[in-house]
Amino acid sequence: MIRRLYIKRMEVYFIIILGLLPLLFDNILFHHIMVIAGIYAIAALGLSLFMGYAGQISIGHSAFFGIGGYSMAVLTVKYGVSSFFSLMAACFITGLAAFLVGKPVLKLREYFLALATIGLVRIFQVMVTEMGGLTGGIAGIYDIPWFSVFGFRFDTLLKQFYLVWIILYVLFMFTRNLVHSKYGRASIVVAANEDISKTIGINPASLKLKIFILSAVYAGLAGALFASVLTSVSPGSFGLDMSMILVIMVIIGGIGSLSGSVAGAVLLTCLINFISESRQFSLSIFGIILILFLIFLPEGIFRGIGLRWIEIVRTYADDDWRKKLDR
Amino acid sequence: MTFEIFVRLAIAGLTTGAIYSLIAIGFTTIYRSSNILNLAQGEFVMLGGLLTIFFIHRFSLSYLAAGILSVLVVTLIGFLIQRLVIKPLMDQSLLILIMATMGLSVFISGSAALVFGTSPKSLPPIIHVEPVLIISTVRINIQSLIIIGVSVLLIFILYLISHHTFYGKAMEAVSTDRLGAELVGIPRDLIMMISFGASAAIGAIAGICITPIIFTQYNSGAILGLKGFSAAVIGGWGRYSGALTGGILLGLIESLSVGIIPSGYKDAVSFTALLLILYFRPKGILGSRALSESRK
Repeated sequence: MIRRLYIKRMEVYFIIILGLLPLLFDNILFHHIMVIAGIYAIAALGLSLFMGYAGQISIGHSAFFGIGGYSMAVLTVKYGVSSFFSLMAACFITGLAAFLVGKPVLKLREYFLALATIGLVRIFQVMVTEMGGLTGGIAGIYDIPWFSVFGFRFDTLLKQFYLVWIILYVLFMFTRNLVHSKYGRASIVVAANEDISKTIGINPASLKLKIFILSAVYAGLAGALFASVLTSVSPGSFGLDMSMILVIMVIIGGIGSLSGSVAGAVLLTCLINFISESRQFSLSIFGIILILFLIFLPEGIFRGIGLRWIEIVRTYADDDWRKKLDR
Repeated sequence: MTFEIFVRLAIAGLTTGAIYSLIAIGFTTIYRSSNILNLAQGEFVMLGGLLTIFFIHRFSLSYLAAGILSVLVVTLIGFLIQRLVIKPLMDQSLLILIMATMGLSVFISGSAALVFGTSPKSLPPIIHVEPVLIISTVRINIQSLIIIGVSVLLIFILYLISHHTFYGKAMEAVSTDRLGAELVGIPRDLIMMISFGASAAIGAIAGICITPIIFTQYNSGAILGLKGFSAAVIGGWGRYSGALTGGILLGLIESLSVGIIPSGYKDAVSFTALLLILYFRPKGILGSRALSESRK
C-alpha cells in the first residue's frame, strides 16, 4: 500500500518536472528533440507492448508509422479534412491495415515473423513511391497543416510539446492499466508459451492480433503526429532504419518495460540529434549500440545497470550490507 | 507480351533466380548448423560485390584475383561475426538473437557506406564473348550461363557435403541437440564457425555474380537478403533443393511480372509472393522437414 502511494507521488513529481522542463530550457533545439522524442516514444510504447507482452517481434512498425503519416498527409492536404478528424482517421486506417496484415502474418513465428514484417516495410515503400498521384511519389507530400483542434492551432514547438507528451501520458496510463488487466496477464502467458496458453482457455491467435493492432495504432498515431509536426512526409523517412530505431528504443529501455521504452526513445532521439552532424556514421553506431546492449545489458539500461551495480556492491560489500541486499 | 519478350524475361529471370538460390543457400547453411537465421546474410552479398569492385579499382587486380580475395575477406568477416556476436548470445532467447543479427546487418551496411561510399556501383560483364544465338533473335549471354552454372554447381557441392560427409552429419547433430553433440565430442563452436564462414563465402560469390547485372550499393544487402530468404521459404525451408527451386521460381515470377505491371512494383511482387506462400503453404513447394519438426 505504501509502496503504491510512493510510486504515485513519484509520478506526480515527475510529471511536474517534465511539464516545467521546456519552460526552464527555452531552447528551440531542446523543444524539437523533446517533441520528436515524444512521438517516437508513442510508437516505441506500442512496440514494447507487442514485443514484451505478446513475445513477438516486428521490424515492420515503420510501415504502420508511415501509414499513419501518409493518411494524415493525404487527408489534410488532398482532401482538406480537418486535422483532428484526419488524426482519428489515420488511427483507424492503421488499425485496419494491421488487421488485414496481421491475420496472415501473425501465424508465423520468430524469424519468419521478423522477415515477413521487413517485407511489409518494403511493400509499403514501393506502394507509396509508385502511387504518385495520391502520395506524391518519391518526393512525398509537403505543407501539411499544423495540428489543430477546435480552432486552436499547435503552431509552436512548445504547444506541440504539450500536445505530444499529454497524448503520450494518456496512452502510457492506458497501456499500464491494460498490462495489469486480464488481457495483460493472458498475453504474458502467450509470450511465455503459446501451447500452454491454449490449455488454460486463452486464444493466442486472437490475443496476438489484438495486441498487434493496438501497437500498430500507436505507431499510426505517432506517424500522424510526426507528419503534422514536420509538415512533410516522404517514403524515405519510413524505411527499415526507422523500424530499427524503434526496436533499439525498446531494447535500450528493456523489452516489456513501458517506462523504459519512453526513456529509450528520449535517449536515442538525443543521440540521433547529437550525431546528426556526422550522419554517415549513424547506421554503424545504431548497429553497434544494438549489439552491445544485447550482449551486455539485455535487460535494458535501467534494470541492467541496477543489476550490475547490485553485483558489484555484493562483491565488495561487507557482511552487513550483503545481508541487507539479500533481504 | 510477345514470345520474344517472354523468352528474354525468362532468361533474365533464370539468371537472377540462380543468384537468389545462392543467397538462399547461405541462409540454409547457417540454419542447418545452428537454428539461427542470419539476417545479415544479404550484407555478405553486398560486401562480396563491393569488395570486388574495390580491389579491382584500387589495386587493379584481375577479375578472378579480386573475386577470390573478396570471398576470403568476407569469409573472415563471417568467422568474426560468429566469434564476437553469435557465440556470446547463443544461450539467449531467439528474440535477442534475431535482433542481434539485425543489428549486425545495420552495422555492416553502415560501415560499408563509410568505406565504399554511398553511390551505386557496378562491375563490367564477367566475360566478353559474343552471345550465343538460340532462337532467331533471342540471345543468351555467356555470363548468364556462367552464373547459372556456378550456382547449380555450388548448391550441388554443398548438398553433397551436408548429406554425405562427416561434417554434414556433425552440423545436423549440433543443430538438433547442442549439448548432445558436445557430449559425443563434436566441436560445436568450430562447426558453427565453419558454417558461418561457408555461408559468408557463398554470399560473397552471389554478390560477385549479381554485381555485373544490377547496381550494388551499401544498402542493397537488406533487399537481396530478403529475396534469398523468400526463395528459401518458397522452395521449402532448410532444404538445398528447396532453395534452388524457390530461387529460380522467384526470379522467374519477378522477371515475368515486369511484362505485366510497372517494373517499380518488382520488389513488392516478390514479397507478396513470400506472404502468400507463408499463408497458404508455409512448408514451401517441396515441403520442409525442418519446419514441421519445429512445429511439434
